[in-house]
Amino acid sequence: MVGWVQMENANPVIFQRCRDRPLTASEEDEDLHLIRSINDPEHPLSLEELNVVEQVRVKVNDAESTVGVEFTPTIPHCSMATLIGLSIKVKLLRSLPDRFKIDVHITPGTHASEEAVNKQLADKERVAAALENSSLLEVVNQCLSSRNI
Amino acid sequence: HQAALRLLGQGGGSSSSPATRLSAHPDSRCWFVAWSPNGTLLASCGGDKAIRIWGREGDSWVCKSVLEDGHQRTVRKVAWSPCGNYLASASFDATTCIWKKNNEGFESLTVLEGHENEVKCVAWAPSGNLLATCSRDKSVWIWEVDEEDEYECVTVLNSHTQDVKHVAWHPTRELLASASYDNNICIYKEEDDDWECRATLEGHTSTVWSLCFDATGQRMASCSDDRTVKIWKEYPSESGDTSWKCVCTLSGYHGRTVYDVSWCPLTGALATACGDDAVRVFREDVTSNPEEPVFSLVAQVTKAHNQDVNCASWNPKEAGILASCSDNGELAIWRFKED
Amino acid sequence: MRSSFGVTSTMAEESPLLLSLVEEFVSGQQDSKAKEAAKGVKDGQFTMLQLVEALGGSLTSSQPHTRARGVQLLSDVLQENYADLTEREVEVLIAFYENRLKDHHVVTPPVLRGLQALTKCTALPPGSAVSMLRSVFQDVHVQSLMLTERGCVYNMLINLMETREAELKGLGADFVFGFVQSMDGERDPRNLLLAFQIANNIILGGYSLGKFTEELFEVTSCYFPIDFTPPPNDPHGITKEELILALRTVLTGTPSFAEFLLPLIIEKMDSDIQSAKLDSLQTLAACGSKYDHRDLAEFLQGLWTSLRREVFQTSSEKIESAALTALTALTSCLSRSVVNSDSEDTLITLLDLVLTDCKHHLCEPDLKLVWPSAKLLQAACSASNRASHIITAAVMPSLIEQYNSRTQCSHRRTLLEVVQRFIKSVKTNTSSDTDESVLSAYRAALCSMVFSALSESNSSLQITATTVLTSLIQHKGLLLDSDVGLAVDHLTRLLLTEEDESVSSAVVECAGALAELHPAALITKLIPKLKEEMFSDPRENSEMNSHHAMRQRCLSALAAVSLQPSVVFESTPVLLQVLSSAHTDGARFSVDEVVLACRSLQRIAEQVQDTEETGRCFHDNIIPRLLSLALQAALQNEGSSGHRSPLTEEVFLSALVPVISTSCSRLQPKLAGQTAARAVSLFLDGDVSFLPDNSFPSHIQLLTKQQEESWSRSQLVCLLMACVCSLPRSVEVPQMERLLFQLEELSCSCSHLLSYTSAAKCFAGLINKRPLGNSLDDLIQTTMKRVCSELGCTSSPVRIQAFTLMTWVAKALLLRYHPLFSLLTDKLFSLLDDPDLGPMAADSFSLLMSDSADVLNRGCHADVRIMYRQRFFSENSAKLVQGFNAAPQEKKSNYLKALSNIVNELPKQVQVSELPALLSLILEALTCPDQSVQLSTLSCLEPVLMNPPQVLIQQLEALVSRLLALLCSPAMKIRIASVRCIHALSQFPVHEVLPFRARVLRALAQALDDKKRLVRREAVHARGAWFLLGSPGGR
Repeated sequence: MVGWVQMENANPVIFQRCRDRPLTASEEDEDLHLIRSINDPEHPLSLEELNVVEQVRVKVNDAESTVGVEFTPTIPHCSMATLIGLSIKVKLLRSLPDRFKIDVHITPGTHASEEAVNKQLADKERVAAALENSSLLEVVNQCLSSRNI
Repeated sequence: HQAALRLLGQGGGSSSSPATRLSAHPDSRCWFVAWSPNGTLLASCGGDKAIRIWGREGDSWVCKSVLEDGHQRTVRKVAWSPCGNYLASASFDATTCIWKKNNEGFESLTVLEGHENEVKCVAWAPSGNLLATCSRDKSVWIWEVDEEDEYECVTVLNSHTQDVKHVAWHPTRELLASASYDNNICIYKEEDDDWECRATLEGHTSTVWSLCFDATGQRMASCSDDRTVKIWKEYPSESGDTSWKCVCTLSGYHGRTVYDVSWCPLTGALATACGDDAVRVFREDVTSNPEEPVFSLVAQVTKAHNQDVNCASWNPKEAGILASCSDNGELAIWRFKED
Repeated sequence: MRSSFGVTSTMAEESPLLLSLVEEFVSGQQDSKAKEAAKGVKDGQFTMLQLVEALGGSLTSSQPHTRARGVQLLSDVLQENYADLTEREVEVLIAFYENRLKDHHVVTPPVLRGLQALTKCTALPPGSAVSMLRSVFQDVHVQSLMLTERGCVYNMLINLMETREAELKGLGADFVFGFVQSMDGERDPRNLLLAFQIANNIILGGYSLGKFTEELFEVTSCYFPIDFTPPPNDPHGITKEELILALRTVLTGTPSFAEFLLPLIIEKMDSDIQSAKLDSLQTLAACGSKYDHRDLAEFLQGLWTSLRREVFQTSSEKIESAALTALTALTSCLSRSVVNSDSEDTLITLLDLVLTDCKHHLCEPDLKLVWPSAKLLQAACSASNRASHIITAAVMPSLIEQYNSRTQCSHRRTLLEVVQRFIKSVKTNTSSDTDESVLSAYRAALCSMVFSALSESNSSLQITATTVLTSLIQHKGLLLDSDVGLAVDHLTRLLLTEEDESVSSAVVECAGALAELHPAALITKLIPKLKEEMFSDPRENSEMNSHHAMRQRCLSALAAVSLQPSVVFESTPVLLQVLSSAHTDGARFSVDEVVLACRSLQRIAEQVQDTEETGRCFHDNIIPRLLSLALQAALQNEGSSGHRSPLTEEVFLSALVPVISTSCSRLQPKLAGQTAARAVSLFLDGDVSFLPDNSFPSHIQLLTKQQEESWSRSQLVCLLMACVCSLPRSVEVPQMERLLFQLEELSCSCSHLLSYTSAAKCFAGLINKRPLGNSLDDLIQTTMKRVCSELGCTSSPVRIQAFTLMTWVAKALLLRYHPLFSLLTDKLFSLLDDPDLGPMAADSFSLLMSDSADVLNRGCHADVRIMYRQRFFSENSAKLVQGFNAAPQEKKSNYLKALSNIVNELPKQVQVSELPALLSLILEALTCPDQSVQLSTLSCLEPVLMNPPQVLIQQLEALVSRLLALLCSPAMKIRIASVRCIHALSQFPVHEVLPFRARVLRALAQALDDKKRLVRREAVHARGAWFLLGSPGGR
């Protein structure tokens, strides 16, 4: 079974942060923007700098109230994948109107335990239980606290 | 068939309009609702760690009591004892609470501990002498209740490989079914003073969230994250083992995970609660072959709630009355009418 | 008693007054008598020795408490009178006190107070300092004394060190030892500050530490790192920061401590407590200036390991930057040491460590450690010229090679950024010009790297390359003329073709840097090319947009490069030509472009070096030319019916005003006087002789009352304002009386908004600078009479005009604290109830309180007193509150609006302090239906919420309800402002706001679905913050 937290990789690959977008951005941009500023629990860098979320992989359908995010974990065996996914999910839950159905997945083919992670992220009961675990919630909240690098 | 599902009090001919949509667990989730055996009370539970008991007063539904401080975390499910005097609640805090009804309301009687982590479901056997619980720790526990209200764990069943989402008792026999994150259903029976898994039902392709028997206990409906509902039928086998086969799969109706299924003991209608915010009612075609039954969608409310519907539950005494609840903390009571 | 003093009094007579004072103090326990006695000595009613006589009995009493009381009176009187004592008296008193130190312990406190007073005497006999200290060190155990007495001892030391340094040094290391023993175990922060001061005096004063170096270090370093939280309402106001700095000065004061301090720092850097880490790093940096290489050599490895850890695995920006500063300090310390052949070069040792651990990470531009490694190397590099040489030689070739071999844009960009920071951190030897720049060897390679990046299509690469180029340019003497030429070519190309706004603004900035050092290259290449392209016609209609964008870039580039006079002489004619061709052919340039040209002229006027030359250029050419163009346009507009010059547009004139006023405000007095005279004679007498292209009719009337359709002429009064209201106050404006009369006339009679407003502003601008006196008072009274009569007549067609004039005059007077101001304020307040003018009156308070862009500001040399806003607020807020309470319901919103206009402009700290008194009104204003009141109230509330006063917290329920209600406002700005305020509430004390959490989250959930993106964005931030409230890992 996939757990929520473990640590590894001290010198991860980094990517450039996108420049701030103009105000006419599309819904996708807006939601990517939400996720961009999430911090990786392991590294003092935002998820976008770590390239774990990519713009093309956010799909928003406002009419049908759905948001799909595919994220790419830093490395194929990254044990933080579920936690990163959880943080993304929580960030979206807090930031989007209730009517949205939020699906968070790993980009196909980028992680060894892709299916297990996806299944766990999709299970709202387990997500709810995870967020009642104060040490886990603490890590997630830290990921979501705004921080300047 | 012409059928309709309406909020109680809406277009039902009654002049008064009782409140049938209640903010049961404000600013939280309502996970589950359960009718008392006599159909007069409704228990709800949710993410606010509380249980609320609802009853009718005149034309409206009101909160009769709030059971707080029993649990440290989400109360996932509640179950009434067959006599209606006890209530059991399963919580993410790894405990199961037994509440006893008294004149003022409910008092906490005992706390069942033992599961390693979240208890997901609790169910009373029809005799009232047995209680089953299941948990993320992958186990199903069966507890025996004696006259002194003492509870003793008689067995721990480890037939699932992942967390166990739901347990349900057969309506007449001492037979238990469990649904799991490992996509399977297990059926347990007592043999020589020992509980054993007698059948593993494979077929769903993702988490099985809930299951329920029909009035006779010959058939069982299960619902899953794979967006289908399956109907299983029991076939006696020579060895004495039970054998269950899937005789029908309802697919294409549900847009997201089906979280709950309820088979009305009075009318035989099948209701589902779905993550696409809808409540649906299905009916078996009377003309269809019992070995290959056909179920049709006869009524649905696509926006029954404005978030996921977590539970659907038929009233055991009043035909056509259905309760549902949702992630937005609401519970609603519906009347299902066939013309 | 006398024998104990060893003197025989010659005056046996004791004054009865003195005796009774002594009696009342000693037996009567009346402390106030000490003051009277001290005063008696001071006034010469009796002497010190008479006091001693009178004390006789109590000093020899068998009761220690009576003796103590007696000594106390003596000491109290001494405190006030030590300055007048003779050497002999001092000697006697010292002997007495020293003797008393051996007395009962209850006597010790007053004795110490007495001794402390004596240490302040100028008449201290030789040898007495040493003797006093010996007695104290020998007979008193300082740390068993109370806090104040310990302070006495420290103050004695401080006083004596100040005046008797040589004597104390005579004590040798005993002095240090005595002090160490005295302070050992001190716990009070006030006394610690004194003790640290003494320790610092010992170190700086060159006292012999002898064998007590380590003891002195131990007794002070045991407080390191300082951990102190002042108690709430601490009356002494001692801060942790103060203690940290005092201790740091001691610890880093002498290299003799190095062998003890450095291991301690290494240990404390490892601490989990952030403040301890920070203090250690800052202390290490402070060592750098006092130590030399021998002090550091032994610890380099350990120090480096810790510093590297703090940067590689940094937890906060503060720690990281402190670690980098410390590394720079260490490196520059080692750089100071002169290398001699037989000693090891410690600079090389340190830099080897840094290079070994960091250099290879520079070759991994896709991995995270590239940045901390680069920062460390750059910190070392920036320490000295030698360090720069060593580091640059080690890293630059490989960086350049990497850049040339990598193909991925993001890698190349990272490498460029790293290179850029190295270029910035390189220390060039400023002392000798002959010394080759550290970067000379890499000049060619760096240039080709930059130019190749500038030719790429990736915009972030281009931006980074321009910043590298900017840094290269700023290294004086590094680039060759041919490099500069190429750079100009690249910049010109990018300006003309690159559409990406962030690229072009980087390019414009780079061109600005180039202009400072290489104006010639810009004059010969860039400016002519930009001019050519700007005046070319777009070939096809489809190119209009990109052509316009190109012109915009060219116009702002022209402004950016115009820093030196030589460039200004070339660039301003191009801008003027844009204006004149817009005038002659309206289709040639759009109004937008004309306005941009004005903005560029304004920027040039603001930034150009202030020289006689440039002043002349503006005075002789630019201003007359601008006035001439505006006048031509106005006259042409009246004459012909069809064509209307863009130069008659209000936006153009509004852009032109700051060009003229900025340049006039910077003119030398003589030229300024001329400009004033010319402008006045142009506007009053139609004198056009100074204007170029003079084909104007001979008698033009600009200010006198004209036909209605002549607005294009009357509005030119704004240019008059630009000329005469921006001059230094010393410059006299001719024909003032006539001018003011005409302006008042125009402002009270004209119906054209820009014309009458500009006339009123011009009038006010001149009034503001008029000297105080009867003539000014008369003028104001006359004007007010006229204004009031118009305002009084509700049917007057020029009520608004009169009101406008009054508002501007009020502002002119408010700024200079003119006494007649209150006359106008009262009128303004009374107008809040006016059915027609009420809302305008409320708005006028915003005009009074805010800075005006084109007149009556400090840039225009207006008479602006500091804190005029606070003064206005404190004089008038009560009136406003009264007015509000008395006003009928339908008028109340005018008062709220006036209030929010005033409060909005107050400095934040004043808002915070004044808000409590106005809170109920502010809360009321939030429910006022007027949206502008809501908005301005919210905007002044937000900063106050950042640091909420207690009274606000008490009103939280009302505040939250009102803010949440405003979330549903139909106006987007109000929704945004209320979300921001709600966001600010999340930072209130957790227990105060936690009860509102669920309600706020629910309300914000609605805002997440707002139809406006900006509201949604704010709601996301606010809701995120509220979620963190009371949640683990949050707040």
